[in-house]
Amino acid sequence: MPPLTEQFVAALRSVGGRAVTVTSAAAAADYLAEHLDGALLLPTSPSLQRVDLPRALMAAGVTLLDVDFRSRGATARGGLTGANFAIAATGTVVLESTDEDVRLASTLPEQHFVILDPRKIVADSRAAAPTLRAFHEGSPRCYLAWITGPSRTADIERVLTIGVHGPRDLHVLLWEGLSDDPLER
Amino acid sequence: MNKQQRSRQYQERVRDALDQPRLQDALHRFADAYSLARENAFAGQDFEALRSGIAAMKDDVRANLDRYLAEFTAHAEAAGATVYLADNAAEANAYIVDLARARGVKKVVKSKSMASEETHLNQALTAAGLEALETDLGEWIIQLAGQKPSHMVMPAIHMFKEEVAELFGRETGRSEPADIEHLVKVARQQLRQAYLDADMGISGANLAVAETGGLALVTNEGNARLVTTLPKIHVALVGIDKLVPRLEDALDVINVLPKNATGQLITSYITWIRGAVPCGDGDKELHIVLLDNGRRQLAASPHCRDALRCIKCGACANVCPVYQTVGGHVFGHIYISAIGIILTAFYHGLENAAELVRACIGCRACVAVCPSKIDLESIILHLREVLGDKEGIGAGKALVFQKVMRNRKLFHGLLRAASRLQKPVTRGERSIRHLPLFFSGLTAWRTLPAIADTPLRDQWAQLPQRVKQPTYRVAFFAGCLNDFVYPELGHDLMRVLNRLDVEVSLPLEQNCCGVPALYSGDRQTAIALARQNIAAMLDNDPDFVVTTCPTCTMALQRDFCELLGDDPVWAERARRLADITLDVARFIVDKLDGQAALSGDNDTVTYHDSCHLKRGAGVWQQPRALLTGSGRQLVEMAHSDRCCGFGGSYSFTSQPEIARRILGDKLRDIEATGASCVAMDCPGCLLQIRGGLEKEETPIRAVHTIELLAEGLDS
Repeated sequence: MPPLTEQFVAALRSVGGRAVTVTSAAAAADYLAEHLDGALLLPTSPSLQRVDLPRALMAAGVTLLDVDFRSRGATARGGLTGANFAIAATGTVVLESTDEDVRLASTLPEQHFVILDPRKIVADSRAAAPTLRAFHEGSPRCYLAWITGPSRTADIERVLTIGVHGPRDLHVLLWEGLSDDPLER
Repeated sequence: MNKQQRSRQYQERVRDALDQPRLQDALHRFADAYSLARENAFAGQDFEALRSGIAAMKDDVRANLDRYLAEFTAHAEAAGATVYLADNAAEANAYIVDLARARGVKKVVKSKSMASEETHLNQALTAAGLEALETDLGEWIIQLAGQKPSHMVMPAIHMFKEEVAELFGRETGRSEPADIEHLVKVARQQLRQAYLDADMGISGANLAVAETGGLALVTNEGNARLVTTLPKIHVALVGIDKLVPRLEDALDVINVLPKNATGQLITSYITWIRGAVPCGDGDKELHIVLLDNGRRQLAASPHCRDALRCIKCGACANVCPVYQTVGGHVFGHIYISAIGIILTAFYHGLENAAELVRACIGCRACVAVCPSKIDLESIILHLREVLGDKEGIGAGKALVFQKVMRNRKLFHGLLRAASRLQKPVTRGERSIRHLPLFFSGLTAWRTLPAIADTPLRDQWAQLPQRVKQPTYRVAFFAGCLNDFVYPELGHDLMRVLNRLDVEVSLPLEQNCCGVPALYSGDRQTAIALARQNIAAMLDNDPDFVVTTCPTCTMALQRDFCELLGDDPVWAERARRLADITLDVARFIVDKLDGQAALSGDNDTVTYHDSCHLKRGAGVWQQPRALLTGSGRQLVEMAHSDRCCGFGGSYSFTSQPEIARRILGDKLRDIEATGASCVAMDCPGCLLQIRGGLEKEETPIRAVHTIELLAEGLDS
């Protein structure tokens, strides 16, 4: 594993996220089918469409929801999104989330699955600045999410507890060859 | 309310807080866990460089506030946001309430925002007939309890799971078990539908980026993402101090903030929002309310303006011994702890900060961890001066400082008289164990040293100077405690320095360093004393001025320069004195390289770092070098640089009960080392720690390092 990927995975695991390597749509779909126990919110994603992931998911028996996330978010168990890029030092995945469906898929369900091409891992937050700037220059309206591990709180007696308002589980599927463009999710 | 009533009420609140051992225990354990996590989070990073960078960036924003505000506003509006600049809390609340009414809003969901606590937004919304629901777990808990936050980052840190279970049970109508995981689940279920039902979401922001016109929110729970996504209207209430110029500046703050706040490398979520993003079938309506409410006034105050650099990490509370003892409700108003004192003075009025200003013990623990390099202690001292001018410092103190201390002969004459008058209570002993009548509280928890029969100044001429060809001639600034209470420290200092070929003089015109007056808010007396001392100490043009008291060291090195900065003649002399003044431990190690020349027994010693020595003068390695260099076994105590609770008049008159608890913590840490002796380099700490150990009748000795070194000369 290249050093940046290794660092990313270690940082992600240290905050309770999970990482797994996949090499095909079928393998990714199998992983989801194994770990997901309900319907999946799947917002539009150019890179995932390109590799025909939705079909692979259906073939693996996953129930896909691709419209009306607001009302169906309550019943869906998981959300699946691509990632624009990631930050090794902190184990952070970055999702350009201006499309509301991406936000809903990554906030409402208890499980969030992210597919990331490890070639898009940068070293640290400073190295993320140019891409951050490019997003802002690309569109006047912009909602970017940096996600590091599952939702957490320590508000009761400072005891770390996972999954308060956001996902309880964060799975990052590392899939090399998917896309090397950080502006694409 | 007059000053006396206010003080009395505050003391009642202090007493109530001191009766909550479970809270104190929780805050102490939190502080330990925090310090460890913070250290790990910053491993391999240069904290000094990071915080200097943030300080410089924030100062640039302050100096060019209007330009950055205009830049931010233009970019935010170009992206479809509406920006409103609120001069004060009432304007901010009125804008949000009017907006809610105009859009027919019934229900509001909020994510955590200290700015909304500052403006009392919830009360304004409720008064307007709106339902406002906090969704951050801690904020929801205190909303249900009808309280205010006791910490900026962890608002409900003062509550326990049983209380939370009780509050949640009232909401669900069931009996909820006091199991934290279960309670978190209850919060998730209870609040989920509210995001979908609400017509308006209100958030704060950690950063407002001028370059983009965007906001950044630093959070862990995920509720801010829901609050800013689901409702049709998003209102962000943001202090104008949250502005940063560029994305890189925002990233620098994000690099430091979670590490310093909770010891996390980064929070679960950093959310960047610019403009009216899509929402449901249309676009979101985004309103950014930029809040002044005293911030520009703070920016205009030359003494206090560094406080605007604050990034609201809460670290100043986490490490504060006063906070750990009484909690944020007592040591805070809306904003808490050290930064809270300053912000309260500017955002909520000086009268609301008055008691807090005096509750700070001045240990500078906060200054050491501040990620924006704010000298919180100096600013709090300045506020004490402002209050002293405004409210007076009390007739008794005014008499002592202005009529007695400024007149050295009278002051020293009275101390000599006191030495004779104390005989009935000292019974000839060096320690006072019990004082009669209403003074008895002062010796309930520590003995007090008697004033010496003969002060050092009256003994000096008889002390033999044993040095033939001195390498240096130094003048000794003894300070009141060393001169009148512990004259033997002066003998020891002369013997040790003589052994190292240094000649020591004691200029007799020296007076009190002025810190007691300055810390009580009497600047004029401090200035008068600074002049007397500069003249006395520079008189024979010594090579160095050495001290045994780090508070005096800070006065000579720092305060005199500040007090006399406007006076060209005196400023130059103050600078000269500052340049040649140093603590005796540092003098021996850094100037004489003398640690190996001294010997001692191989006792096991632990070392207490005095606040003003370590965090004021930056001296902590040198005393350790002296202890180990002279053959002693050094065992470090836990929290060696935590305040002992002395704080000068703090432990006598301001907050003796808080001081007593802080001393108790220190004694436990000393005892846990198993050392037979605790060394330190401050006569104030010596008074406090020796007094505490004597009262507990433990066999552990408390000594000044110079005493130990002198003992070694005899063996």
